[in-house]
Amino acid sequence: MRLRFLLCAIAPLLAAQSLADFEKRVTEFTLANGMHFIILERHEAPVVSFHSYVNAGAVNDPSGQTGIAHMFEHMAFKGTETIGTKDYPAEKKAMDEVERIYDLYDAERAKGSKANAERLKALQADLKAAEEKADSYVIPNAFPKIIEENGGVGLNAGTGEDATQFFYSLPSNRLELWFLLEAERFYDPVFREFYKERDVVREEIRMRVESNPQGRLVQMLTATAFAAHPYRNGPGGWASDIEHFRVPDAVAFYRKYYVPANITIGIAGDVNPAECKRLAEKYFAVLPKHPLPEDFPTTEPPQDGPKSVQVQSPAQPFAAIVYKRPDDNDKDDPVFDIISEVLSGGRTSWMYTDMVRDKRIALAAGAQSPFPGGKYPNLFLFYLVPNSGHTLEENEKECYAIIERLKTEKVDDETLKRIKTRLRASLIRQLDNNAGLAAELTTAYVEYGDWRKLFTQLDDYDKVTADDIQRVARQYFIPDTRTVAEIVPPRQSSPAPAPAGTGPQGEPSAKGASK
Amino acid sequence: MKRTRVLWGRLSACGGLSARLVWFLERALCPKATALVLSAMVAAAALAQDAPVKNPAAATIPATKKPASTAPDQTQVRGPAPFPSWESLKFTKLKDIKIPKPAEFTLPNGMRLYLLEDHELPIVSGFALVRTGNLFDPKDKIGLAEITGHVMRSGGTEKMTGDQMDVALENVAASVESGIGESSGSVSFSCLKENTPQVLGMFHDVLTQPAFRQDKIDLLKTQLRSEIARRNDEASQVANREFADIVYGRNTPYGWMMQYSDVDNIHRDDLVAFYKRYYFPANVMLAVYGDFSTDQMKDQLTNAFSGWNAEQPPVPKFPEVVRTPAPGVYVGTKTDVTQTFFQVGHLGGEFSDKDYPALAVAGNILGGGFSSRLMQEVREKLGYVYDISAYWGAQFDHPGLFQISGSTQSKHTLDTLEAIERELKRIRTTEVTPEELKTAKDTVLNSFVFLFDRPSKTLNRVMRYKYYGYPDDFIFQFQKAVEHVTREDVLRVAKEYFKPQDLTIVAVGNPADFGAPLTQLGMKVQPIDLTIPEPARAPAAAVTAQTQQQGRELLVQMQKAMGGPDKLAAVRDTSIQATASVEMGGQKMQVQQLSEFVAPSGFRQETTLPFGKMVMFSDGQTGWGATPQGTQNLPPPMLKEIRGELFRDLFTLALSDRDPNRTVSLAGPDTLRIADKDGDSVDLKLDPATHLPASMTYQSTGRTGPVNAEEDFSDWRQVSGLKAPFHIVVKHDGAPYADVTVQKFTVNSGLTADALSQKPTAK
Repeated sequence: MRLRFLLCAIAPLLAAQSLADFEKRVTEFTLANGMHFIILERHEAPVVSFHSYVNAGAVNDPSGQTGIAHMFEHMAFKGTETIGTKDYPAEKKAMDEVERIYDLYDAERAKGSKANAERLKALQADLKAAEEKADSYVIPNAFPKIIEENGGVGLNAGTGEDATQFFYSLPSNRLELWFLLEAERFYDPVFREFYKERDVVREEIRMRVESNPQGRLVQMLTATAFAAHPYRNGPGGWASDIEHFRVPDAVAFYRKYYVPANITIGIAGDVNPAECKRLAEKYFAVLPKHPLPEDFPTTEPPQDGPKSVQVQSPAQPFAAIVYKRPDDNDKDDPVFDIISEVLSGGRTSWMYTDMVRDKRIALAAGAQSPFPGGKYPNLFLFYLVPNSGHTLEENEKECYAIIERLKTEKVDDETLKRIKTRLRASLIRQLDNNAGLAAELTTAYVEYGDWRKLFTQLDDYDKVTADDIQRVARQYFIPDTRTVAEIVPPRQSSPAPAPAGTGPQGEPSAKGASK
Repeated sequence: MKRTRVLWGRLSACGGLSARLVWFLERALCPKATALVLSAMVAAAALAQDAPVKNPAAATIPATKKPASTAPDQTQVRGPAPFPSWESLKFTKLKDIKIPKPAEFTLPNGMRLYLLEDHELPIVSGFALVRTGNLFDPKDKIGLAEITGHVMRSGGTEKMTGDQMDVALENVAASVESGIGESSGSVSFSCLKENTPQVLGMFHDVLTQPAFRQDKIDLLKTQLRSEIARRNDEASQVANREFADIVYGRNTPYGWMMQYSDVDNIHRDDLVAFYKRYYFPANVMLAVYGDFSTDQMKDQLTNAFSGWNAEQPPVPKFPEVVRTPAPGVYVGTKTDVTQTFFQVGHLGGEFSDKDYPALAVAGNILGGGFSSRLMQEVREKLGYVYDISAYWGAQFDHPGLFQISGSTQSKHTLDTLEAIERELKRIRTTEVTPEELKTAKDTVLNSFVFLFDRPSKTLNRVMRYKYYGYPDDFIFQFQKAVEHVTREDVLRVAKEYFKPQDLTIVAVGNPADFGAPLTQLGMKVQPIDLTIPEPARAPAAAVTAQTQQQGRELLVQMQKAMGGPDKLAAVRDTSIQATASVEMGGQKMQVQQLSEFVAPSGFRQETTLPFGKMVMFSDGQTGWGATPQGTQNLPPPMLKEIRGELFRDLFTLALSDRDPNRTVSLAGPDTLRIADKDGDSVDLKLDPATHLPASMTYQSTGRTGPVNAEEDFSDWRQVSGLKAPFHIVVKHDGAPYADVTVQKFTVNSGLTADALSQKPTAK
């Protein structure tokens, strides 16, 4: 089959060319304070994309403050001492008053059953009045508005387990505007409208988790799979923590983690690198140098038996099966990537052809890894969505049979070759997208220490053999490190529904983890 | 490091806010809300919306979180940055945008080509746009377009099965995909440059010779049944779907929903007929872009498609949207949520409306971005929602939806809806501020360059303009119009087009937790029925050799009953004089009708109505219609109706076993299904005692779109040795439509096609 070999041989060449070409167009520099920049020139159109990657995420949330990384991400849109205020000194005074009353309120409430209800009520009223006073100095939404008015697109941010990312794109003549605004929000964020934003963040939990059956399932899945590591807390934190956030919590998080050496900037588009460097010095060099935050000591203890959890919901059945796997920098990381391609990469993949196409027991089935983050040892996830008339049990059984096949059968050469070709081509397809490139280059730099990993990972994939796949499957996909999470119908035996107003109805009742 | 990241964004569903105003122009080809596509990708994405975790240990942490002291330095970071104000920045003029112009060609077979070179990456991609859509779904086969579009690819071609194609394509990291959305069909491909000939070949075969293999039809039908079963799992999806269906009308192609019975009702013949009707060269626009030379690509495509010569009459217009406001509050109950997902609005407009630019600006100020009023009021000030947005929805060829959407904690449902009503009232009664107008306009105009940052974006947009008959430079007309929008314009269009009295409010959540009853909104509150109807009976049997044999046997009985095959075959012409009482817009109208037919396809009908006489003639291919106002050629939909009438003529139906273009099969007890290759199909239910047809059912076109027609036959009388029904009752979708009494029926009176084609003399 000489012809087929030739066809496949061209793709590796292309990626190599791309890397050589990129080397010429990428400029890297680090400011004295440790902040790192990766600049990619792409002059195809007069636009530019920016990506700020902060190497701190939900895993860094302190105990009792889960979700604070996410909360700070929201606050980073609230402006500074010069953006978003009518009169900062007066506003600051009013915000301090809010904090003072809140402290009194917290102190009273801390008395628990001995707290004076009347005093609590009075303090609450004071608090409301103080917040209204502080808000009266606010120019709402001033920060994002500047960006929108200047033609910014894709303005957003995201908080993950491992990192927090801020990004948008601008017409390239507004390059300096990004430098000024981004430096200003990282230099001098003002925590205005904090308690209102806390309600918004709380609402986000209702939307993504409490009102979404799959959201609830994933919540219980990570909480069950991890006994100690903070991956057990989702990126949003949990509701009661959020309801108690205070401004100093967010400030403390900012001080510890938003230090220049912990931030990497990606810029891709129609820019001049020398100009970028000049502007970086002008705007970001003022951020004071600060040591990197120390990592937390918690590591996940070994799991020594299977776990399972069920979430009752009137929704249709759904299941996730996870196994423990090592972190992104482990030598077997590329093998896991290839395994998830074998299992669910495209219509030739094992789970699709077996469960979806041929046996027709699943509407969808696939694999995902790393999950929910990659910086620390994490999970290899299988998801199963049964077709009508087929059970979770049937799907799980088939999934285990496929896992068994990984351990006993060698993946054939054609399949391996196909996967490697596809991974190369999918990299090439990303190369004309400024926003995607700015994100990928910074991510590769932070997670692997070099943006070139975006390209050299293909060489790592090429080295993966059928034996590696079998070895990794045998080593990691074992019942002792498994957790199974299922959406199951509510128990039928429940008595008459509770009368309205007695409390939240239809709350998921999640059974605890059991070995 | 292949990653699917779990991220919690600050903005959720309204991502890409700044581009929003213009983005409406970019999304017209999206499938309608009722089409369910749950792929593995979707499932993965759903999982990626990660979740926080209830931590039982932390719940016991005492409430004292920290000492009761808050020194100023705990709340302030570090004082103002030593920068000049952003307002002092000066920007140079933006470099000119290079706007690529695709080369255009028309092939001899009528297919149009648009080619655009882009050499940045070694990739070639393309897509064919086909004028069809699920708006053409027959009413009892909702989903036919979707299934056809899907199985075109999955069911493989004459040369390869779909599975073989999967392997061949994935081996070279290429793709060929197909689908049919609301008002367009597409087949697309993408590949590395060096694989172009091979992949183009597969693309060609999917477009021109799909095989519709039965196993893939069955697979998709299984999946669609599962999707129907799962369609109420997510409250946000339910709210979105129900809103669109209620506003467009549940009995219209824009608002109806696929049910189990539809899935059961759709068979391979239907797919083949649907495909055949719409996939022909003159109905296809093909765009190819990427790393190639235009001349070579043109030759390559000309050769590849030279053998494709299918012909069909032009495709009719899509059905019109009928404006029937459905004001009121519609509540869908889901008990497993802590939020209410709401949709508030009514019909929107079209991009070509002269007021569209002002409406787009008004929608943007109301709920289009972070600076919008709804975001500021309901999220920032009241903290009721995480996500809220509003936009004036426009489409290219029919009204879009004016839609305010979001979700709120259950107990704030009424408060949130009231806040929305307040904002709607405000924008209708007072002018927006100069600053609001400036923000909205700057947002659109300054981000304009992003519409052109990749050549493929330009090509996509221009293709869509051409497809819907818009000028190529429509985007620049829009840009200019936005520049000129004034505050008066915004107020005027808000007053004229935002209609509080027409609002449809859909709320999906747990009414027990709403806090206050929604009746306080002062509108009628009614529940949404979310039960999923089970199929009425077991799936109809597929057409098999056995059912065809049984069908032919039953047809022979019918021939005998009607006078025997020889007498039927001897019919050369018929003439029927009848009176009918017809339902029209709630009124009964008396009509006199003379219908004349000359084999094989001459047809003339003279109808006398209270307000005048109409004459219609067709020779099967063309035709004319004459009214007191004048004579006109019949449009394609009319001709199609006439062809359908001829197909359904009982004497010719009885001889269907002699016509190689027709299939006859048994569709149920005493029920014949007769279908032809043009996609016409009827079911005839025979009287078991007499074997004469008792009733006939088929798809027809009513005034507002496709209808299920039923005709009941009675009063059979002898006519020249044959049997014919003298009383016919016609129902559309079960409601009475016409009651016809035949007065005179003659056979073989010597009519000629020539005589029928005589136009009435003008007065």
